[in-house]
Amino acid sequence: MTTYIIRRLLYMIPVIFGVSFIIFVLFNVVAGDPAPLLLGKHATVQQIHDLREQLGLNKPLFAQYMDVVKSAFTFDFGRSWATRQDIIEMIRQGAWPSLTLTIPAFMISTILSILLALVVAFYRGKGIDLTIRFLCIAGQSISSVAYILFFQYFFAYKLGWFEISGYEPEFPVFLSYVALPGIIWIVLSLGPDVRFFRTVILDEIYQDYVRTARAKGLGEITVLLKHVLRNAMIPIITYVVIQIPFLILGALLLESFFSIPGLGGITLNALNSSDFPVIKAMAVLSSIAYILFSLLTDVLYTLADPRVKLK
Amino acid sequence: MSMRFIGLVFAFMIAAVGCSREQNFDEKVLNLITPQKIKGFDPIYAADLYASNEIGKVYEGLLEFHYLKRPYELTPNLAESMPEVSADGLTYTFKVKKGVLFQDSKAFPNGKGRELKADDFIYSIRRMADPKLQSTGWWLLDGKIAGLNEWRDKNANAEKVNYDEAVEGLKKVDDYTFQFKLAKPFPQFLYALAMPFTFAVAKEVVEHHGQEFQNYPVGTGPFKLDYFDNSNRIVYHRNPTFREKLYPSEGEATDEAAGLLADAGKKLPLVDKVIVNIVVESQPQWLNFQKGSADLLGVPKDNFDQAIVAGKNLHPDMAKKGIRLSMVNSLDTTYVAFNHTDPLFKDNIKLRQAMSLAYDHVESNKLFYNNTATIAQSIIPPGISGHKKEYKSPYIGRNLEMAKKLLKEAGYPEGKGLPELQYETVGSTVSRQQGEFFAKNMADIGIKIRISTNTWPELVKKTNTKTAQMFGIAWGADYPDAENFFGLLYGPNESPGSNSSNYKNATFDKIFAQASIMQDGPERTALYEQLYEMAGNEVPWIYGMHRTSVTVYQGWVKNYKYIEFNHTQVQYLNADLEAKKELLKKF
Repeated sequence: MTTYIIRRLLYMIPVIFGVSFIIFVLFNVVAGDPAPLLLGKHATVQQIHDLREQLGLNKPLFAQYMDVVKSAFTFDFGRSWATRQDIIEMIRQGAWPSLTLTIPAFMISTILSILLALVVAFYRGKGIDLTIRFLCIAGQSISSVAYILFFQYFFAYKLGWFEISGYEPEFPVFLSYVALPGIIWIVLSLGPDVRFFRTVILDEIYQDYVRTARAKGLGEITVLLKHVLRNAMIPIITYVVIQIPFLILGALLLESFFSIPGLGGITLNALNSSDFPVIKAMAVLSSIAYILFSLLTDVLYTLADPRVKLK
Repeated sequence: MSMRFIGLVFAFMIAAVGCSREQNFDEKVLNLITPQKIKGFDPIYAADLYASNEIGKVYEGLLEFHYLKRPYELTPNLAESMPEVSADGLTYTFKVKKGVLFQDSKAFPNGKGRELKADDFIYSIRRMADPKLQSTGWWLLDGKIAGLNEWRDKNANAEKVNYDEAVEGLKKVDDYTFQFKLAKPFPQFLYALAMPFTFAVAKEVVEHHGQEFQNYPVGTGPFKLDYFDNSNRIVYHRNPTFREKLYPSEGEATDEAAGLLADAGKKLPLVDKVIVNIVVESQPQWLNFQKGSADLLGVPKDNFDQAIVAGKNLHPDMAKKGIRLSMVNSLDTTYVAFNHTDPLFKDNIKLRQAMSLAYDHVESNKLFYNNTATIAQSIIPPGISGHKKEYKSPYIGRNLEMAKKLLKEAGYPEGKGLPELQYETVGSTVSRQQGEFFAKNMADIGIKIRISTNTWPELVKKTNTKTAQMFGIAWGADYPDAENFFGLLYGPNESPGSNSSNYKNATFDKIFAQASIMQDGPERTALYEQLYEMAGNEVPWIYGMHRTSVTVYQGWVKNYKYIEFNHTQVQYLNADLEAKKELLKKF
């Protein structure tokens, strides 16, 4: 397994080259010139030229690409062109608010979804299954913005149960700010998650080993929890772990509506101002996180199913 | 055990939800909202409105706009008095107020702020010109101060910029006196000294914090920064070493009756603490205001009907809570620009006139501005010298018959032969709707419009490279002088300069060049009016609206008066804590 992990980690090198290339091409072909944006509405031709020179945008393209690759490998992303802040510091500051929102909400929604999926699988075909499935589909049909607007208006403003917006980093004060967006996250996740987990569990429930377990006289709950759930773990692990890198990127809409100063907002601002160093840092870090969590998924397979060997 | 544990977790969460910020009645606090992340506090980058509002709380300039008087009038701030100006209008001598202290900072010996001197202004102006720093305010001084451009050019390739080298136009006379010598007449120069770009910074602080300077503001201003998270919240406290600056004792005729002189002669600032929350979306802005958590707010477009009735009165539900309303014309102009490097528009004034006549300004005002805007007849908004109130453009006001006639004369009867035109806009919902409305209007005379939505960087790239055929945009005044608007049609300012429509007209350019170096007076106003009419008749753009600023503020906020250049406004605002206690019961 160690060899496998090392080999997968080494795969990261060409992936980083590739990611650097893609973001470099996108930035140079699609994005606007950052110099006039940074200089404002009165920028002169000379100023634009001078600033491009300072930012290294007049260098040959290959040299610019190598700068991107270098920063991706050294994690030295420099400073934001728009705010002149140290990028690693910006990410560090933004990561905490994002994670305080996304991790608890993600954990609760995952556990709740699995539990509900087990319940609907247990009562498959009956009223409770149909009701939950109907609610899931109905819930998914409504735009996430509609949920945000309604929950914010009703629970925060009308009932006054939560803060309308804002954030305090101190524990436990931040809970009062992330509670409502966290609930919205959970509500938004329940629909697709329950339906996915239900399908996975039902796939297992009709297998021969389940019939054998029942024939041995095991109760339905024991069969579900001890046999079905364990065998359904591989697709569940894949589905769940691969979402974790996206948690780090934050929840763009929720952060925006609830004024949570997370990484989603930082990324959006960077895109709107052609702030290439920040875009580059976020793209590289999320790619690395994605690779690492894919690797973790593979390792977890071996724990969930001893028949899986990593070679 | 597990049920008890889950119960405990829920109990803890519910308790934590209660741990939010409470209203504080022990000190006077202003709770403000800004809709954009703040890029930092370095005055030389104060190009955007939101950053300059924050910079103006901590830093100060030689001059400022009088808080109450209208039309806008400059008044001394850190300057002892208005400057002495030489007969040729080229030399400005300033005396700096004595005894003004920079705020305490560890950048100073023993952490105690030192006295502001003439050198600080000379240093601050040089920073604006520093070629390594690329100030967003350099346009203000570019080519204006004798020797400054030469100093900038000389240091462009130097490893370290030499701040010790003398510059002819920046001369220290003594510790409290210095002179600006201009390279050419620049009547708007004094406005530049009221803009945050030129506010005084201390060299020690800049050098102490280096690249992090923008996060550690230390000025002479009324407030001292306590906490700064550029995407969450900014907190200030009253600067304990702020000088004796008093609330004005005179203003407009109606100010006394409006209670705006109640604090006349009181020491500024009038509140102890200012909290600025960064709230990007309009719903939470509005809900926070409705709940009393925000003290003043520009009314979001979608909440207009909840705030205003009959187009101009405060909604009774809000009035009951003591909320008040301010509706004042902003100094801005919205427009659809034609790209005059495109032969379609450059040589075809009749096509431009036809399109302008096809545009339904009245409906646009209703749809996008809740009927509060003033339809623009030409480029200058009301309230600025050069705006001719009696001038009505013959090409504003929907007249489809005339538009079709002009289109035919332009060589495109019923739009035949005219290729599909591309209208560029940003991707926001309102901008897209405005684009669709424009396209619908043009379709009525047979002109086909394709709407292209862009991110802001993409739109800027297209206008700067002259590849945007038409685009919808707006311009807000940097200072209250028509020159700031006419410059948008001045040929030599073509893209990537401020004339992004690349309009060129030799007569217009000649008159503008003449007027732009004249001091304010009847002669200049006559020339400005000539330009105003020319800009109206030539239809270089399809003029849109002069928008109205609609602000609501809580009943406990005192001394609120709309000011276009509002970066120093907060020091004049007051909070009545007794009124707040009472009024909050109604929320």
